[in-house]
Amino acid sequence: MKKVIALAGNPNVGKTTLFNALTGLRQHVGNWPGVTVEKKEGIMKYKGREFLVVDLPGTYSLTAHSVDELIARNFILNGNADVIVDVVDSSCLMRNLFLTMEILEMGVKNIVIALNKIDLAEKKGITFNFKKMEKVLGIPVVPTNAKDGTGIEDLKRKIVAVADGRITVNPVVPVYDDIIEREISHISEILKETALAERYNLRWLAIKLLTRDEEVIKLVLSHLGHEKMDEILHHIGELEEHYKKSLDIIIANQKYEFIDNLIHQFVTHFAEQKETLTDQLDRILTHPVYGMLSLLAIFYFLFKFVFTVGTPLQESLDSFFGVLGDNIGRYIVNDTLRGLIVDGIIGGVGSVLSFFPLVFLLFVAMSLLEDSGYMARAAVVMERIMRKFNLPGKSFIPMVLAFGCNVPAVMATRALDDERDRILTMIINPLVPCSARMVVITFLAGVFFERHKALVAISIYAISLGLALISALILSRFVIKGEESPFIIELPDYLIPSWKSVVIHSWERSKEFLKKAGTVILAGAVAIWYLSNYPQPVGTGLSYAEIIGRALEPVTKLMGLDWKAAVSLIFGIIAKENVIATYGVIYGIGGNEEALGVLMRQAMSPLQAFVLSLVTTLYLPCIATIAAIRAEGGTKWALVASLYNLILATVIGILVYHLGLFIMG
Amino acid sequence: MATIEEVLELIKSGYTNPKEIARVMGISVEEVSGIIKILESLGYIEKVKLGSSVCNRCPMKKICSGSCIHFKGQIYQISEKNSSNSSKTT
Ligand SMILES: Nc1nc2c(ncn2[C@@H]2O[C@H](COP(=O)(O)OP(=O)(O)OP(=O)(O)O)[C@@H](O)[C@H]2O)c(=O)[nH]1
Ligand SMILES: [Mg+2]
Repeated sequence: MKKVIALAGNPNVGKTTLFNALTGLRQHVGNWPGVTVEKKEGIMKYKGREFLVVDLPGTYSLTAHSVDELIARNFILNGNADVIVDVVDSSCLMRNLFLTMEILEMGVKNIVIALNKIDLAEKKGITFNFKKMEKVLGIPVVPTNAKDGTGIEDLKRKIVAVADGRITVNPVVPVYDDIIEREISHISEILKETALAERYNLRWLAIKLLTRDEEVIKLVLSHLGHEKMDEILHHIGELEEHYKKSLDIIIANQKYEFIDNLIHQFVTHFAEQKETLTDQLDRILTHPVYGMLSLLAIFYFLFKFVFTVGTPLQESLDSFFGVLGDNIGRYIVNDTLRGLIVDGIIGGVGSVLSFFPLVFLLFVAMSLLEDSGYMARAAVVMERIMRKFNLPGKSFIPMVLAFGCNVPAVMATRALDDERDRILTMIINPLVPCSARMVVITFLAGVFFERHKALVAISIYAISLGLALISALILSRFVIKGEESPFIIELPDYLIPSWKSVVIHSWERSKEFLKKAGTVILAGAVAIWYLSNYPQPVGTGLSYAEIIGRALEPVTKLMGLDWKAAVSLIFGIIAKENVIATYGVIYGIGGNEEALGVLMRQAMSPLQAFVLSLVTTLYLPCIATIAAIRAEGGTKWALVASLYNLILATVIGILVYHLGLFIMG
Repeated sequence: MATIEEVLELIKSGYTNPKEIARVMGISVEEVSGIIKILESLGYIEKVKLGSSVCNRCPMKKICSGSCIHFKGQIYQISEKNSSNSSKTT
């Protein structure tokens, strides 16, 4: 039978790369029995002999907390490997050797260390005394660069030598403090009497019992019986009293310190703590003050970019749909049908569709921010601000997600530990403008403002985010602050995004916009068209649309908005883009030839348009979001959230309108 | 206090940034992030599911292909294991 070589190590250390280097193309991919974890096997050839190489799942320790850990651990424990190659990332030695120690503790003697990514260690300025390292660890060590093949032949030679028993391996094992060592000996003594002694390393079993490893407790229980087991566990309980902690962390800690001592014997030069580009950028981008300012600046330039590049495209698409409507209209004899298609569908859906270039560009910008790693920084900045406004720290997760869509954001409130915190976050969550509202904001800013389009857009964002924070501050006075489990945020390094992934990602996202245009917005446009033409067309004052709109007008008038805005806001509840579609339909009726933008500019002042986009952003979450709040928090809170948003939007709409009138004299 | 425990204690006391923990402890950020991984595999902290995992459960998923924001960071929270430990000792 072929001898078996197992590759073990932390995730991402280069196991698979090394596996490929050892086996070439002679590989087979399957699953580990009973689980869907990938199992890779391949054949390594050396001097005419063949060896079976197995790529074990990457883990950080060998506890029984995850499937990956159990697979790796049982493979080693059951003696399935003739040689274990412990792949170690030489550029982060501490945590890698932690796993090495866990392996050695199992009593493993047939092991070789592949000190991989040696090129990265060199780059960082880490230097090793390899001879010393072998001596200190008691294991053969081969520096490798799995990527370019350096050291692979040497590694093969050592692997085969260990497999043939030509190298004697005498590994170190971690030593713990006296109390723990005494307990290890004590337990080992008890276990010596059992059949376990033949199969397992007793020291390892004892250590695992101390850490209350469930699998090992089960195993030992079956050999010792309840009485003796209870005695051991009772003893362990006493030790835990003594340390006032679980022993697993005590043991992990001591293991870590043990490694730290070892490393200092063979690492002759440690990495210099140089400030990387990521560090430098983070000093500004996650700074309490500059971080906030750069967040605003980045979003400002995002809009600026979208407007500059996208507006000309949008305008030509808009006139394209105008021409399309006219041409198609000529061939339709039936008046009603022509109205439905030209005014309703082309007018309504077309006005939204003409925004496709802007939407696409918005998503390009968003994807750039995500892929570069900036979004994670924006989250950190948000997190800090939210704490100041009495929001639970983790609420920044739903708040950041809300920029994309409020529905997953509401669902993400589950990450919060406290029910009241969760509800508070759900209520203010819709105040974060989602990407659908970004479209409306972009549209209205684009149509009504010749210059400063980006500034207008960003100011609507700023107002609604400000309102979200102030709301949090006010509402949090009515809820008792819940307890929160602490957390830590790991930030990725900055990366230059690949254009390919950005374009694919943006396309995926804008496809959704197209789909929405073909479904929800199309249905909305048809409904609006119907309401605007029956029983009498718009303009006669008898259409349903006017009747509904005028009923609401007394309220919207206070914000300077007429009945058309009122109707559009009603349709916007289904999907916010319908606000634009409504205007597209209503202005299309009566055979207007002009582009929608021109018509709207004639009917509304920039101030009114500003108020309309602000109110659209604030007034009600869309139906899907209300449903999500209902599902997560119950009907009562869905109602409260809707009402709160509605009242807030009305009050702010009125305020901003009058403030605007006052300023402009 | 020893290293792994100290990182855990600092997280519990409200530090959210590995860089700050590194500064307080006088070790490198990489070492802190290594310890975070070890703490996770010991079960003391756990990944907070966000972004893509929330999006996969989203009822809008069928009609929505990409409004979900992905920020590439990773959030770990203190797991229940910690509270069960403290209750064990009290
Ligand atoms: N610079 C350098 N990079 C390497 C080396 N070996 C592997 N890598 C890179 O490290 C990354 C991870 O390599 P993998 O082989 O996938 O690591 P793994 O251990 O199989 O990872 P998991 O399967 O996730 O546990 C890849 O980008 C490799 O190209 C090396 O010696 N030097
Ligand atoms: Mg791999």
